[in-house]
Amino acid sequence: MVQGESASQLQEVTQLLRSVADQLKLPLTTIARQAELGQLTGDPSQVDLTTVRTHATAAMTLVDCYLLGLQLMRDQATLALEPVSVSSMLAEAAHELDGFAKQYGATIDLRIGGKYEPVMAHRSGLKSAVLSLGYALLEAYPATGKSLTLAVHRTPHGIVTGLYGDYEQLSAAQWRKALELQGRAPQPFSALCNGNGAGIFVAETILRAMETKLRVGRHNNKQGLATTLQPSQQLRFV
Amino acid sequence: MMHVLCIEPDRVLARTYTQALQHAGYTTAYAATAQDAVDAADTKRPDLVVLELQMTGHDGIEFLHEFRSYPEWRDIPVIVNTNLTPAALEPVKPALVELGIGACLYKPYATLQQLVSHVNAQLAN
Repeated sequence: MVQGESASQLQEVTQLLRSVADQLKLPLTTIARQAELGQLTGDPSQVDLTTVRTHATAAMTLVDCYLLGLQLMRDQATLALEPVSVSSMLAEAAHELDGFAKQYGATIDLRIGGKYEPVMAHRSGLKSAVLSLGYALLEAYPATGKSLTLAVHRTPHGIVTGLYGDYEQLSAAQWRKALELQGRAPQPFSALCNGNGAGIFVAETILRAMETKLRVGRHNNKQGLATTLQPSQQLRFV
Repeated sequence: MMHVLCIEPDRVLARTYTQALQHAGYTTAYAATAQDAVDAADTKRPDLVVLELQMTGHDGIEFLHEFRSYPEWRDIPVIVNTNLTPAALEPVKPALVELGIGACLYKPYATLQQLVSHVNAQLAN
């Protein structure tokens, strides 16, 4: 049984690694072509250094998030969950995603309506999941001049944190199918991503290690992917 | 001046490709999705299309079939510039030949110079 579980975990990790490796080609291609543009035109000022920097950061973030996901999966028994302020975590993530969003003609819209008690989560895991998801969604955003909303709201089931955009056709069935196809198809989530969407699946892996998951959600007439987090009981009664 | 339509879901890469093509003397248009591509081709008929087969919400081969179904676009040369590896492209090769694809480039290694050279060659024919 234990052997079986290890084999399935190894397969999952391998599939995710394959997706991450494949996805890394995109920022690396962008950087390589930018460098070449200066040579081709004979004008070094044609090289957009902001593009180079933001894509290098996106690539490194994807690698770091994958490694963190791997670590959290393996250390699940000793995973240190602690009270985390979702509002401040989302604000930090929004700030970090802002430059990348501009590259894609999009803006980051931070919606934190109200005050929320801390949630039980792995601090860097939660932020990494949001960043990984944010980079993946921005890369795939089809329209310019639109915003990607990072939002938090309360439901009877907990505190819902998500990233939402103009993905009207996005459905729970498509997400379920994407999870089945991840690592097996070049475009497992074609409704949302032209590539393999590795960042989305890395975020899902991190959240699953924290015993929550990503699901399709809706907020202020926008569709996206969200997770439900439980408020910290410890702090609630202090 | 010859007009090239670049169908590329990643808008940052698309910007780089269109800059290189403009430098080579072409006018360019850019489309991120299948619908945008049809609209762009409708607005100004391209002399050549550069296409990424991995499109959001659309299969690239299906898009090509649809694109070719319009009589006025049937003969427009298409260069595929894709992230799909040569091995992943193998099963769709017959379809690409049938659809009259002029050249097929593997995006991570296809330099801007190579892309421009292929565009020049296709349009010289």
